[in-house]
Amino acid sequence: MSEHGLPADVSRRQMLVRSAAIAAMVGPGSALAAGCAAGSGSSKSNTNNSGSTAANASDPKNPFGVKASNPLDVYVFKGGYGDNYAKAFEAMYTKDFPGASVSHHSGQNLTGDLQPRFNAGTPPDVIDDSGAQQLKLDVLHGSGQLTNLDQLLNAPSIDDPSKKVRDTLLAGTIEQGQLGANMFSLNYVFTVFGLWYSASTFKKNNWQVPTTWDDFMTLCATIKATGMAPFAHQGKYPYYMLVPLMDMVAKNGGPDVQTAIDNLEPNAWKADAVVNSVNAIYELVDKGYMLPGTEGLTHIQSQTLWNQGKAAVIPCGSWLENEQLTATPPGFDMAVFAMPSLAGDKMPQTAVRAEAGEPFIVPSKAKNQAGGLEFLRIMCSKAGGASFAQNANSLSVVKDAITPEISAKLLPGTKSSNDLYQAANGQYIAWYYLNWYSQFEKDLEDAMSQLMANKIKPADFINRAQSAADKCAADSSVQKFKRPTSTS
Amino acid sequence: MAADMTQSTPGTPGSADTPGSAKGKRPRPERSRRFGESGATLNVFGTGFMAIWAIMILGPVLWVVLGAFKNASELNGSAWSWPHHWSFGAFSRAWHTGISTYLKDTVIVLVFSVSLTMLLGAMAAYVLARFEFRGNRFIYYLFVSGVMLPVYLALVPLFFQVSKLHMLNTYQGLILVYVAFSMPFTVFFLHAFFRTLPSAVYEAALIDGASHTRAFFQVMLPMAKPGLISVGIFNILGQWNQYLLPVVLMQSQHGEPPHYMLSQGLVSLMVAQGYSGDFPALFAGMTIAMLPVMAVYLSFQRQVQAGLTAGTLK
Amino acid sequence: MRLRKKTRERLFIASFLAGPLLVYLVFVIWPYIETFGYSLTEWSGVAPPTKVVGLKNYVDLFHDSIFLKALTHNMIILIVFPTVTIALAMFFAFMLNVGGRRGGLGGVKGIPGSAFFRIVFFFPQVLSVAIIVILFQSAYESNSVGLFNAIVIKLGLTDANHPWEFLNSPTFVLWCIMFILVWQWVGFYLVLFSAAMQQIPRDYYEAALLDGAGRTQTYFKVTMPLLWDSVQTAWVYLAVAAMDAFALVATLTPGSSFGGGPDEHGEVLSTYLMRNFQVLGKAGYACAMGVVIFFITLILSLVVLRATRRERLEY
Repeated sequence: MSEHGLPADVSRRQMLVRSAAIAAMVGPGSALAAGCAAGSGSSKSNTNNSGSTAANASDPKNPFGVKASNPLDVYVFKGGYGDNYAKAFEAMYTKDFPGASVSHHSGQNLTGDLQPRFNAGTPPDVIDDSGAQQLKLDVLHGSGQLTNLDQLLNAPSIDDPSKKVRDTLLAGTIEQGQLGANMFSLNYVFTVFGLWYSASTFKKNNWQVPTTWDDFMTLCATIKATGMAPFAHQGKYPYYMLVPLMDMVAKNGGPDVQTAIDNLEPNAWKADAVVNSVNAIYELVDKGYMLPGTEGLTHIQSQTLWNQGKAAVIPCGSWLENEQLTATPPGFDMAVFAMPSLAGDKMPQTAVRAEAGEPFIVPSKAKNQAGGLEFLRIMCSKAGGASFAQNANSLSVVKDAITPEISAKLLPGTKSSNDLYQAANGQYIAWYYLNWYSQFEKDLEDAMSQLMANKIKPADFINRAQSAADKCAADSSVQKFKRPTSTS
Repeated sequence: MAADMTQSTPGTPGSADTPGSAKGKRPRPERSRRFGESGATLNVFGTGFMAIWAIMILGPVLWVVLGAFKNASELNGSAWSWPHHWSFGAFSRAWHTGISTYLKDTVIVLVFSVSLTMLLGAMAAYVLARFEFRGNRFIYYLFVSGVMLPVYLALVPLFFQVSKLHMLNTYQGLILVYVAFSMPFTVFFLHAFFRTLPSAVYEAALIDGASHTRAFFQVMLPMAKPGLISVGIFNILGQWNQYLLPVVLMQSQHGEPPHYMLSQGLVSLMVAQGYSGDFPALFAGMTIAMLPVMAVYLSFQRQVQAGLTAGTLK
Repeated sequence: MRLRKKTRERLFIASFLAGPLLVYLVFVIWPYIETFGYSLTEWSGVAPPTKVVGLKNYVDLFHDSIFLKALTHNMIILIVFPTVTIALAMFFAFMLNVGGRRGGLGGVKGIPGSAFFRIVFFFPQVLSVAIIVILFQSAYESNSVGLFNAIVIKLGLTDANHPWEFLNSPTFVLWCIMFILVWQWVGFYLVLFSAAMQQIPRDYYEAALLDGAGRTQTYFKVTMPLLWDSVQTAWVYLAVAAMDAFALVATLTPGSSFGGGPDEHGEVLSTYLMRNFQVLGKAGYACAMGVVIFFITLILSLVVLRATRRERLEY
């Protein structure tokens, strides 16, 4: 749908998961890889059989003390996942608490709808705070509007009351929802980032998926010779192009560079890893590998052109397939590969950015806070994860929620992102500054747009990035965070 | 101004300081003793330019209407393509995704808000225009300065205000807000209009024993009809297309269904289309939203013009 | 008796003003006053203001390079957009009303098709801004598929591999926005000026004709001066629109939160204000910006009205 994308495209930032600082999907990595793919079949358990016996001090059936008489007010961002999945959760909630009245709202203009309600002290009880108009989590948190979700993490799981909810989530989910030491948002949707292509087109032309940047450049030359543009990006929103760039930086520089950048250290952007990566990305522009005009296109416009075969590769997160469902021609065979490696990379080529997106929050001033927490607990059950997979055609952060039947029905792009995720085998890229410092991210995006439009050179970009970081570091009105050291 | 007139009407044929014509061509007064001849170039150029301008306007409008008849892949392709089969499916889809409700709600609100705007606006403008009293200028400027306030700036305080009155997501709340925000424009134009009306009839009515109120409703308002119609039309257009105010004020607060206004619903439809891809329905929705106001304008455009004459800053 | 008459009149005035004033004060004036109050505080926008900071927000504004950049852009729009719109609208109005060949009976009339043009030119006014945005998003598309690019490529001004960037061009982004503004508003002022022109007695034109004035001269010597009031009015309204331009810039220019790109070249006060308000958690600062915008508009309007004040011509 190239032509018309107005608010659609604005709000396309949508799942833009951007908000979510990527978490390091560290820790028990191997275990979670299985969780994401075809899970073991134990997902029969459901919401209302929980804690059949235990009804003691802290009732595992109702750890937050929900009163069915209190109405529950739910607001979800209605983006690529629609809102049917939320209605399914609401049905589960009313099943557990018969008689509870649940009101369901959905929309795209989160800020317009909810900012006044936060101000007035009458926010909904649970919110999926996503999309272009999302209320920024750092701002909400700074104003004391968010409920600490650690109590959710420490509550018993619905499926197995002997386990805590925190043990039923994919690794990294908790870190991604943290601001400081506590978790304030449950980032529910699992997303993988990479470079997307049409497997059938690659096969037809006998193009190989590149693993090194040099291979990629060679491939680009080959593609360009056929008359197809090698690379497209969603230029109107420079966020998209920052993802591959920062992924290269992470791979090339490793944890030290990431820590320096996330912590806004002086001269962090002068590191060799940054220079190498920016130069590499700039090659795409410099050598004319970009789809003409792509630097001004919206996500819808550019992705549609990519679907039409005008460009071979486009960077995006795994929401891409769902978003382009109607625009994708039959037999396109959508697939994704990880950022090619540069010489001297400190992370393997298979490392990918994988993050939990779509932050769900419970406002601290919610009337029915217990209900909101319980709603999230239901989402974290296997039945919740399975229901989400069926209703939203996407993966959630709930471990072992996907039955083989569900996994068999996955679309090619989703399957491919699963493969990518598994191949990474614990090596996941995470950036935090995105979520912590809105203005800094905006400054980076401005500079990126100019680099991609060939208006500035790599050295200028690096200078601008560094001075934006310095400006942010010096701004006393911005609350500062430190990158967790345990992450890779 | 009198000086301007004497200088500009008779007696200055072909004065040397004539500002260059639009084309930079010097008029040649000796040869052009007649209106028609002098402007042949101007005429051709002018008409041509106006034709191009008309195309620039009609083209996009047509594109929207045609878009409603295309299918998704046709919309995907060239902007110049023509729909292959004329089906109204998109209209019915748009209608059922909520356009019908938006339309109903918008009409309900507008019927009251425009009438009330006109009534209150006319009352205030009339009193300010025809009576001397202390504070007159102050109140007039208080109203008129509202023209210069950007709406988006007051949104959050406005929300609290409406919330305190328990009028969020209610027709009456939105109606009052529309009336309030239409006041500056309405008072401003009608004020000018009332000043131009002759006072003889009014005074005669008063002498006959009519009260001020009666004289206003029975004498002045009918005389002001042209002004009322044109300002009314502009209020209809403005309120019909209003977007920011309903977005903030017409949200469901406690689970009751929200009363979306048309342009608000249209945007929500548009955003939803961005995710579900039914663009023809979006175009159909836009067409539906366009038609009523266009019809209103077409039927009243003569009166609109007639009424605007007096509406200038005094 | 006389006193009673006076009292009656006062009562009448009060009763007629009470309703309109009340509605206006409650829903317009008071919220704006509150905005002024908020501008003196540190306010995140999602919870009640935390502390009063006095004029700090105002002081910061004038050290804020983005604010100053946005202000400059608004000033450019403020000069170009009303001028072009008024000039075009006047020209069109003139053509439509008195631009035609002389009628058989010696009357002055518009060019052929006047009625058609009059209606069509007004169309953009009935389009909701949402529709306008979709239209121009497509027209300005920065590759060869876009409407305008298709045209410039056809004209041979560039080729398909080097499409013009339009909204993504630092140089042209503001002009692209201004074009839409003009496109949108010319129709309204055309109607306004037409109305005013029809007030001008035909005799004036006839007299000018008899004196041998050309059409251009008639335009500048008869029409323009007599439309002065309308032009003033138009200027004030257009200035207000120029200071706003929010919807177009926010949705059409590049950048994630209310556009403003590329690289701040499309930034205007309203988008910067809204970004501070809704995204960056600086609502108090945004309110200060709003107050400043209000005063700028107010002062500009007053200056224009004063500067252009002339004696009224009665006809």
